[in-house]
Amino acid sequence: MSGLAGQLAIMHETLGSLALAAGDAAHAQPRFGTGVGAKFDVPRLFGLIPFIPLLACALCGLCAAMKVKTKLPAAITVGCLLASFGLTIGLYAQVHANPGDFAIIHAFEWINFQWGQSEAQSLTANFSFYADSLTALWMLFVTGLATLIALYASEYMSHDVGQGYCRFFMAFSLFVFSMACLVMGDNLALLFLGWEGVGLCSYLLIGYFYKKPSAVAAAKKAFVVNRIGDLGLSLGVMLAFVQFGSLEYAEIFRKAEPFLALARDGQWQDIPWTVQLIPILLTIGAFGKSAQLPLYVWLPDAMEGPTPVSALIHAATMVTAGVYLVARMFPLFLVSEHALTIVAWGGALTALLAATIGMAQFDIKRIMAYSTVSQLGYMFCGLGVMGVMGGPAHVFTHAFFKAMLFLACGAVMHGFAGQLDLRKLSGLGKMPGWRIVTVAMFVGCINLAGVPFITAGFYSKDTILGDAFANPAMVPIGWILLITAGLTAYYTFRVFFRVFVGPAYYEPGDELHAHDDHSHDHAHANKDHGHDSHGHGHSAWQPHPPGWAINTVLILLTILSFAAIVTVFKADGWLYRMVTNSSAGAGIAADHHHKFFGFDAHAAMKVVSGIVAIAGIAVAFVLHYSGRTSAATSKADSLVPMLGPIPRWAQNKWYVDEFYHFLFVRPLWLLSVVFAAIDKVLVDGLVNVFGWVPKALAKTARPLQNGVLHDYALRMAGGVALLLLIIVLMVNRGDRTSAAASIPPTDNSIGTLPAAPAAVDPIAVSLDPIRAKAQEAVR
Amino acid sequence: MNNVIAQLWPEIALFVTTCLVMVVGLSKDRGTRKLCAPISAIGIIVAGYLAATTSVDTATTLPFMAKYGKVLAAGVGLLLLMLMAGTADRQLEDAVDRGEKFEPLRSTRAEFYAFFLFSLMGLMLCAGASDLIFLFLALELTSLPTYVMVALSTRRDRSMEAGVKYFFLGAMGAAMFLFGFALIYGATGSTALADVAYTIQNRAAGTGSIGPLALTGLVLSLLGVMFKIAAVPMHFYTADVYQGAASSVTAFLAFVPKCAGFFAIMLLVGCAGWAFGPDGYGSGTALPPELRILLWTIAVLTMTVGNVLALLQTSVKRILAYSSIAHSGYMLVGVIAGPGPAESTLASNGLAAVLFYLLTYGVMSVGTFSVVAALERRRRATAADAAIDEVDHIDELRGLWKRQPHLAAVMVICALGLLGLPPLLGFLGKLPLFTSALGAGEIVLVVILGLNSAIAAAYYLRLVSVPFLESGEPSTPDAVVPTPFPSRALAGVVAAVLVVVAGLAGGTLGSHAERAGTFRFPTKTMEATRHASQPTSTVSVPPDAAERGPNAR
Repeated sequence: MSGLAGQLAIMHETLGSLALAAGDAAHAQPRFGTGVGAKFDVPRLFGLIPFIPLLACALCGLCAAMKVKTKLPAAITVGCLLASFGLTIGLYAQVHANPGDFAIIHAFEWINFQWGQSEAQSLTANFSFYADSLTALWMLFVTGLATLIALYASEYMSHDVGQGYCRFFMAFSLFVFSMACLVMGDNLALLFLGWEGVGLCSYLLIGYFYKKPSAVAAAKKAFVVNRIGDLGLSLGVMLAFVQFGSLEYAEIFRKAEPFLALARDGQWQDIPWTVQLIPILLTIGAFGKSAQLPLYVWLPDAMEGPTPVSALIHAATMVTAGVYLVARMFPLFLVSEHALTIVAWGGALTALLAATIGMAQFDIKRIMAYSTVSQLGYMFCGLGVMGVMGGPAHVFTHAFFKAMLFLACGAVMHGFAGQLDLRKLSGLGKMPGWRIVTVAMFVGCINLAGVPFITAGFYSKDTILGDAFANPAMVPIGWILLITAGLTAYYTFRVFFRVFVGPAYYEPGDELHAHDDHSHDHAHANKDHGHDSHGHGHSAWQPHPPGWAINTVLILLTILSFAAIVTVFKADGWLYRMVTNSSAGAGIAADHHHKFFGFDAHAAMKVVSGIVAIAGIAVAFVLHYSGRTSAATSKADSLVPMLGPIPRWAQNKWYVDEFYHFLFVRPLWLLSVVFAAIDKVLVDGLVNVFGWVPKALAKTARPLQNGVLHDYALRMAGGVALLLLIIVLMVNRGDRTSAAASIPPTDNSIGTLPAAPAAVDPIAVSLDPIRAKAQEAVR
Repeated sequence: MNNVIAQLWPEIALFVTTCLVMVVGLSKDRGTRKLCAPISAIGIIVAGYLAATTSVDTATTLPFMAKYGKVLAAGVGLLLLMLMAGTADRQLEDAVDRGEKFEPLRSTRAEFYAFFLFSLMGLMLCAGASDLIFLFLALELTSLPTYVMVALSTRRDRSMEAGVKYFFLGAMGAAMFLFGFALIYGATGSTALADVAYTIQNRAAGTGSIGPLALTGLVLSLLGVMFKIAAVPMHFYTADVYQGAASSVTAFLAFVPKCAGFFAIMLLVGCAGWAFGPDGYGSGTALPPELRILLWTIAVLTMTVGNVLALLQTSVKRILAYSSIAHSGYMLVGVIAGPGPAESTLASNGLAAVLFYLLTYGVMSVGTFSVVAALERRRRATAADAAIDEVDHIDELRGLWKRQPHLAAVMVICALGLLGLPPLLGFLGKLPLFTSALGAGEIVLVVILGLNSAIAAAYYLRLVSVPFLESGEPSTPDAVVPTPFPSRALAGVVAAVLVVVAGLAGGTLGSHAERAGTFRFPTKTMEATRHASQPTSTVSVPPDAAERGPNAR
């Protein structure tokens, strides 16, 4: 641990001196501002982008209330999301026409709170949307993929048509609304709202099969682990508010400007530590949502949710929220000495750890989950090594191919009754109707593995690797990522070679018995595909290949993943401009030119990472394809004993869950037992006293409410008399003191008589009728 | 005179409606008779529209309150009207159904709707009152119809009893504030509120206090008006009257007189102004110390008595009656806090907070009462009309979620709103009360307010848990069924939706209240314009000579 700390310290020094050097060399920095340009106007129409999905959510709720038993909710959702996507394209066109600038679309006033006169004593957070190229980039793939995946889900979820179907699409639309708030909000409060909203939807959708205990447990785990991250985020947001007096990005960036100047000169000691702490707290939030060490444990379990959910939320969009946060708040990360280093190392270690676990898993969806964790690690590294472009670029390309991989896995799961074990499936490509899935899977795999020159995943990953090697402080991270790239290629193609090629073989999954709300309806749904021979016995069971919706989506995604090459092909291509024209562009200054064994790092990486990827695939080919005759075994099995207990450890996820359980859950549980005892005796006792006092008071006061008219009148009059008496006493005392102290006796010009005598008279006069009235009332 | 009429268009619209309703309600044809409610609704909508578009009287200390108050009265009045459906003449109409002849003499429909509108008119007048006499008449116009409405609301003795109690005690309260008004006139020589305020301010600037006679007048007036808002010590009638009246009328009582009372209190206290500080007049933004102590004591006692007594009740209407008392106490906190420093916002302006809270309380209380109003107890054995009774015991709401989920949801949302749970409307309303009091330095008051909100949770959560969480049939021998008047439940649903929706996006409503709470000390020029425009209507005495008149008596 101390070694690591020392290493970190050395690196900070290097980073600091480097920043200093960059500051001296003016030509090396096109600009080192907050990356925020001027403000421009866009039509308020674009403020509807988040609200159309919200409308879809409401309509699906209406469907649920009206007990709709058709696919109407899916149609509504797909239609609304498509409209939202159309508007997003319009917004992109607007943003594209104003490169480097931002727009604020005001929807309505949300929080506007003032507790004093000065500007700092107010809290404004409106439902306003911040539109710059980063927003547009994120929204394009969020709404676009959401539309496609909703279409996919319309078929995938068909076994649940009815209440469950409505519930699914409600949560799905609500997710898109929340994600849009998160991405588009012009302030941290709206981001936080969206952040919690996507967390909630994630919880709801992971636990969609709520009758399945493991799904419920996974949903709870995701929610609880995310709490830790959210605590960090909320503290970061609060600290940002305390420090900058505002939650609005434009305002924060403006006020961070002087700190950025200090950071550029390497004068870290002049930047308050509280400012430097903000990005670190935000990092905790980002690591929670984006499943990075040490908070990654929830994401693999989240695969208990329906596969479209895994594809959209837990692979393509929600888990990239952390990356978005870092990119969006990049100017703040630059003013912290350690934040980016933490981001980079967190990402790198997660990437490696998740890849090693992924190599030893047998559940193909879980392998994809670990690959997501691993790839998210890459994205954070891309930001952390101050390359900036690599992170968001990888988010963008990864969104398409990872969604496709998940959807292909989902098609397998859908077709084989929940079978996901790669030892029980083989040669799907040879079965009728599975060709499109196989092709999609293959395209996804080559992207994930980073096959050189023909895949978008290669270019975006290559940018991150190049950036890491170009930054002299980050070379160790570059090596970690390079090794991980090899492992990634291996475990990705392990899946492909085992499941999609080789001898044809399958065993159906246990979904026929496992959770009944899934399987019984399943049998009915299968009729749509023209297979009638589904029974509960395995002998009569036939897999059913995907229908038109799933295939269409897979084809579209295949095309899109190739189309994405255009955006990242050149180092200053479309994606580059999208990223650098936003607040994330603040880090462009740190344009490093470290050499990789004498070559330009980016150019060298194009070759080296390509070789590594091919090598990984080759190893997978040898171990899992060549000469494999059955589904269950391969050549790799003979290698396992040679590695000792390591494969077993990796298969058991390095016992991280057990370690957390031992380190946190058990002590907390013990503590809770102690606290429960204290609570019962002390706190409850105290509360009971507090509960008892009002009741005792009430019992005293109750007889006064006896329902007798003249008693009421008497009490009212008595009360009035008592209050008047208090006032009289006060006036008398007040006059005595004031007469003695301040008012000179000659000051009668206003026309009052001397105060003391005047005070008594009228009150005496006024009391009489009251008494009279009281007596009257009593009578 | 013209500009006074110009501001009274909403009230005139209501008056015209009232006349129409009086005639229509006695028609022989049932279809025509039933037009009472729609006509009233149209009248209220027109009045609300006119109120929203009338000009603003700038000559009082709260120049923008009139508009807000009138629109508020129209808005909540519409909800209350929905709740009123079927309250009047139910037995009579049932008898007509059985073939009996319609007897206009036995019908109370016309009177009932007319009184409803009259009372609403009184509330609107109260909001726009600029003169003490005007204010007195407006307050009485608000209250007098309610006495009759309470007595007419059901055919049972306890309604009659409630009406009589309410009337006698109300008369006592009215006598008290009328006497107070007389003393104020005596102290300042004017009945115009702007003049009264100007005179009192002027004197305070000279002597450091507002003068004993004016103080006595204000104290008596305030204590009298406390009857309208059901604050200690004038609260004793509340539970009995609320329980005795039909639920729809109770909802009316919980909002309309209370609202009128708060308008009156703000206008009256505004005469003394919030300009006192530790070093006397002009050194701070607090009430004169005597008035502060008075209102402070009343506020603390009111919220405590209300919440504490509500704990022991088993009758939903009594719980809500005591909760209504407690809420008056909460709102008095805003009055004590005052308008705060110049150009203060909703969060620091206590008056704006009160005005906003009146809106939130109105919506939420209509919601809770609507649940009780939309249900009735029917004896299982017989079908005669005497066998129908109001739902009152909390046990009768048991398991409501299973039978009438929408009503249970209304109860849950509105009770949680009254409790002030974020993000509901009640929270949004309560927050400015807290912040304005904090801004005014009333820390102890804020702590007591917080403690009381916690006590209140005990009975509000009971209102939430019994219909929502506890299952099983009510333990009464009678069946609890919905009333045949869907508009009552609709009023509740609308209120509940408002509680949620406005709670999420209440900024606009808040900004209206913020403007309405703008407080302005009268200036010499303001007085001059008043005199120029109304040379004969106000008895004006030069401020210098003001105190001499009554003292010479």
